[in-house]
Amino acid sequence: MRILAPLLISFSVSACVATESPPTDPPPPPPDPTIVYLTPTQHLSRASLALRGLRPSIEDLEAVDADAAQLPTIVDRYLASPEFGETIKDLHNETLLLRIEQPTLTFPLPPSLPTATALDINGGVFDEALRLIENVVMTDQPYTKIVTADYTMTNGVVSAIWGLPHVGPADQWEVAKATDGRGAAGILGIEALYHRWRSTGFNYNRGRANMISRSLLCHDFLHADIDVDTTVDLSDPDVVANAVVANPSCAGCHQTLDPVASYLFPFRGTVNLVALTNGTATYPTGGYTVAQETRWKTTNKRPPMFFGVAAAGLTGLGQAIADDPRFARCTATRFASYLTEVPKDQLSGAWIARLQSAFVAGNFSAKQLARDIVLSDEFRVSHDTDAALAETVVGAQKVRPDQLARMLYGLTGFRWTTTTTSKLRNIPYGTPDLLKSDFVGFRVLGGGIDSYFVTEPVHTMNATSSLVAKSAAAAAADFVVEHDATAPVGQRTLFVEAAINSTDPAMIRAQLAYLHARIYGELVAPDSPEVDDTYQLYTDALAVAGNARRAWKLTLVGMFADFRSLFY
Amino acid sequence: MNRRNLLQYAGAAGALALLPHTRRAVAAPSAAPRRLIVVLAQGGWDTTWALDPKVASATTDVPVGASQLFGNLDVFTDASRPNVTSYFTRYAPVSAIVRGISVASVSHQECVKRMATGTRNETNPDLAAIVAHDRGNELPLPYLILGDTAFAGPYAVSAGRVGATNQIIALLDPAQAYATNGRTPIATTTAEDALLARYADATVRRLHATRGATGYNRKRVDDFSEAIGRGKRLQAVRAGFGARGRTLTLDSQVDLALDALEQDISQTVMTSTRLAWDTHTAITDQAGFHETTFAGLTRLLDGLTTRTGRAAGTKMIDDTTVLCISEFSRTPKLNSTGGKDHWPVTSAMVIGAGVRGGRAYGASSNAMEALSVDFATGKPSATGRVLASNQFAAGVLTACGVTAVDHLGPTEVFDAFVA
Repeated sequence: MRILAPLLISFSVSACVATESPPTDPPPPPPDPTIVYLTPTQHLSRASLALRGLRPSIEDLEAVDADAAQLPTIVDRYLASPEFGETIKDLHNETLLLRIEQPTLTFPLPPSLPTATALDINGGVFDEALRLIENVVMTDQPYTKIVTADYTMTNGVVSAIWGLPHVGPADQWEVAKATDGRGAAGILGIEALYHRWRSTGFNYNRGRANMISRSLLCHDFLHADIDVDTTVDLSDPDVVANAVVANPSCAGCHQTLDPVASYLFPFRGTVNLVALTNGTATYPTGGYTVAQETRWKTTNKRPPMFFGVAAAGLTGLGQAIADDPRFARCTATRFASYLTEVPKDQLSGAWIARLQSAFVAGNFSAKQLARDIVLSDEFRVSHDTDAALAETVVGAQKVRPDQLARMLYGLTGFRWTTTTTSKLRNIPYGTPDLLKSDFVGFRVLGGGIDSYFVTEPVHTMNATSSLVAKSAAAAAADFVVEHDATAPVGQRTLFVEAAINSTDPAMIRAQLAYLHARIYGELVAPDSPEVDDTYQLYTDALAVAGNARRAWKLTLVGMFADFRSLFY
Repeated sequence: MNRRNLLQYAGAAGALALLPHTRRAVAAPSAAPRRLIVVLAQGGWDTTWALDPKVASATTDVPVGASQLFGNLDVFTDASRPNVTSYFTRYAPVSAIVRGISVASVSHQECVKRMATGTRNETNPDLAAIVAHDRGNELPLPYLILGDTAFAGPYAVSAGRVGATNQIIALLDPAQAYATNGRTPIATTTAEDALLARYADATVRRLHATRGATGYNRKRVDDFSEAIGRGKRLQAVRAGFGARGRTLTLDSQVDLALDALEQDISQTVMTSTRLAWDTHTAITDQAGFHETTFAGLTRLLDGLTTRTGRAAGTKMIDDTTVLCISEFSRTPKLNSTGGKDHWPVTSAMVIGAGVRGGRAYGASSNAMEALSVDFATGKPSATGRVLASNQFAAGVLTACGVTAVDHLGPTEVFDAFVA
C-alpha cells in the first residue's frame, strides 16, 4: 500500500497529544428509567461467554442464583482461566488482523519441519504477536508490556522461520528473546506483524505506521480525505520525499505519520517467499538489521519521532506509545467494543473515560479492565422498553465462530474437525477445526472474519451462519449422544439425570431441565413452560424417529442451534 | 439500519432542500426491481489501459494503443488486447463509462468501502446489499457473495458467502458434508426439520414477548428466525452451487451468478476478478488483467443477452444491471520501478438495464484530475461539480430502482447515465 499522494486535511496531532493529562472522570450518567438489566444468572452467562466462550457451570449458576454477590468472585476465576487467554487472542486479532490463510503470505515448509502443515505454519507465524499479548495479560503484567516487553513467544515454526531461540517440543510455545538489537518493544519487534502488513517499494513503512497508530491509538490516518496536487511528480522519489515534508497539503499527515514509519526500516519491506520456495534463499530468514536504522536519511528523510516527541529506537517507540493517553483510551475502547459487541463509535464516551481512568490507575491491568467491563451496568443491559432507545441497546450478543467452537467443546467434548487432502501453497492443509478455518471451513460463513478481506464480524444470523450453526449442532449432538449412550454413568458428559434410553417422563424432564441449565444458562423446573417446549420436541422426535438416540440427537440439535444458545 | 442512521437520514429529503445543487437529488428511481451484478477489480486498475483514454505527455504515461470509438464511446484499445476490443465491439451500446470519479483517498480499504457502499463506514451495506434488501428480499439468498470483499452491514441476514473453496455446498448437500472422526453429520429429514422449526418458533414467540420485543434485540430474533427459512430454501436450490473445492475464477463466478439470478435464488451478486491489480512494480501486468476481466464481462453479457428474463419475451439483460468498479486508479506517471501507484480518481462501468449506454459520462484531465461535470448531462462543464464516489453510487442505486436517499442520506444523485 502506498500513500504517496498528498494529503489535504491536516490532523491536529502534535506533541501535546502525547503529554496531555488523562481526562477527568465524568460522572456516571443518570440511569435510563426504561432500561432493563439481565438477571444475575443471565449476567453470569453473558460474562462467561464474553470472557471464556464457555457456558457457566451449573454450580456457578446456582451460586449466583442464591447470592448475586458471588458474581465478582466467579468472574475473577474466569479471568484466570486459559479460555480467557483464548479470548484475549481473538480480541486482539480483530484489531491486528493477523490470522490469515492467504497463499501468497504462507511460508514454504522449513526443511527442519518437513511434516508441518499449512495450519501449523500460519498458526505459528501469525499467532506469535497474539501469544505475546496473551502472555502479558495472563501473567498479570501491565498491559503496556505489549509494546515494551523485551521478549516474544516462539514455537517450532516461529523458531525455524525467524531463527529465534526455542528448546521445547515444536508445538510448545515458550518465552524467547531476540538478540539482534531490536530492543524491548513487545509486538512492535515481531517480524510476523510486518510480514502481514507488508511495505512495498517507496511506501517506506507508512502503511505499517498507520497500522500501529490505528491499532494501538485508535488514530487512523486513512480516514482523512486527500486532494491531489498534480504539480508533484510522483514518479520521482526525491520529489515525493520533499513534498511530504515541504508541501503543506502533504505535510499535514506525513509530518506525524512518516517519523513513526522511520522506526521500521530495520525490518524488511517484504519477505521473498518465492526465493525461500525455490531454494535461492534459506531459513532462518529475516532479522532486525541495526544498520538500517538510519535508512530514513536516504528515503523519507524524516528522523524517527513519535507525534513530535523524540524517542530512541523501537524501545523508545514502544514506551512512547505506552505513555500516550490515547493508548489507554484505545485499549478501553477495543476491549469494551469486543466484549459488548457495540461498535466502537457508539460506545458511551463517559463509560470509556471511566474505564480508561481505572485502567491507568490499576497499573494497566487488562484483567481488571475486562472485569470492570463485564461487571458494569453497560454490560449487563438486557433491553429497553422504550422502542426508540431500544434501537441502539445491544441486549443480545451473538457467539462468534471461535466462541461457538469453545462452547460446543465445553458442553460436549466435541471438536468439529475434519481431514482433508487440500493444499495451501502446495502444503498439506492439515486437520482444521471447521469453525476456525476459512480455506475449507466455515469461520467466515459463520459470521467471523478472515482478517484479510472480511475484517468485521457479523453479529446477527443469516442463511449461511444458520446452516453452520445447525451443522455444528448436528455433529456435536451426534458425538455426545453416541458417547453418553455407552459411557458409564459417572463418565457421561451431558446425560447425568437420565440415560439415553430412559422412558420415564419425570427423568426425561429432569434431564431436559439440566440441559436448559447447561446450554441456555436457565435454572428452570422440570415442569416449567420452558421445559414443556423442549419435552414436546423430544417426544415428537421420538415419534418421528422411532428410537431414543435419534430423538435425543434431534433435541440437542434444536437446543444447540437455538437463539438462547447462539446469543447471550 | 440502526437508530443513529435513522436519525441521520430522517427527513433527509427535507434536508436536501437546504443544500446547494440538490434539485436532482430526488430523482425518482425506476419501478423495475432490477437485479445487480457487481464485478470488483480490487487492487486499483489503471484506467488509461481502456476506460479513460489519455495522450502520452510529460505528465502521463500511457500503454501502447490508441483511442478507438465504438459508436459514441471512446475506449483505449490495442491489437494486443483483443478481449477489450471484442467486448466493446459487441456491447458498447449497453455500456456506460463514468469517468473522473473522486474517491478522495489512496487507501485500498478506505476506497473499496467508498466505492462499494457510497459511504465512509464499513458497517454500512454496499450497493448490492442495498438492492438485494430493497428489491429482492423475499428470495432465498438475496445477496450472493462470490468474491472476497463485500459489506452486508445491517442487511447481513440477506447475504451469504460461498467460501474460498465453495464450501457452502458442504452445508447444503449432505452428500458433500465434511466427516468428523469418520462420521458424517446427521442429516435431518423434512419431518424432523419441521419439528426443529416449531421449536425455534416457540423460542422466538417467547422472546418477542420478553427481551426481544423491540429494537436491536427484536431484529436479532427476527434475523434468527428468517435465517432458518432462508437456509432451508437455499438447500432446495443447492444444485446451482456445484462441487466442494470448486475454484471460483471470474468465469466460474459469472456462471454461478447467472444461474443464481436466473433461478431467482438471488437478486444481486458480488464477484471479484481475483487479479493482482495493485501493480506498483509492473504496470504491464494490467494488460493481462484487462484481457481476463473483459473476457469475463463478455461471458457475462453473453449470458445476460441470451438467457430468459423475468418478464415474458425479455432477456436477463432487460432486468439486470452490471457494475464494474475498482477502488481507485493509478498515478498518471510510472514510478522508478516501472509500476504506478495509487490515484484517488477513477472510472467505472455501468451496463445493462436502467443504463443509457453507448457513451461516457464525467471526465478527467490528461493529468488524471477529476474535471467538473454537469450532473444533468454528464458532460464536462466549468460550472459543474466534481463527481464524488457517493454521488456515483447514488446513481447506480437509482438505476436499480432504489431510492438512494433512503440509504445514503442527503446525497446528490449523479444519474446522467440512468435511462
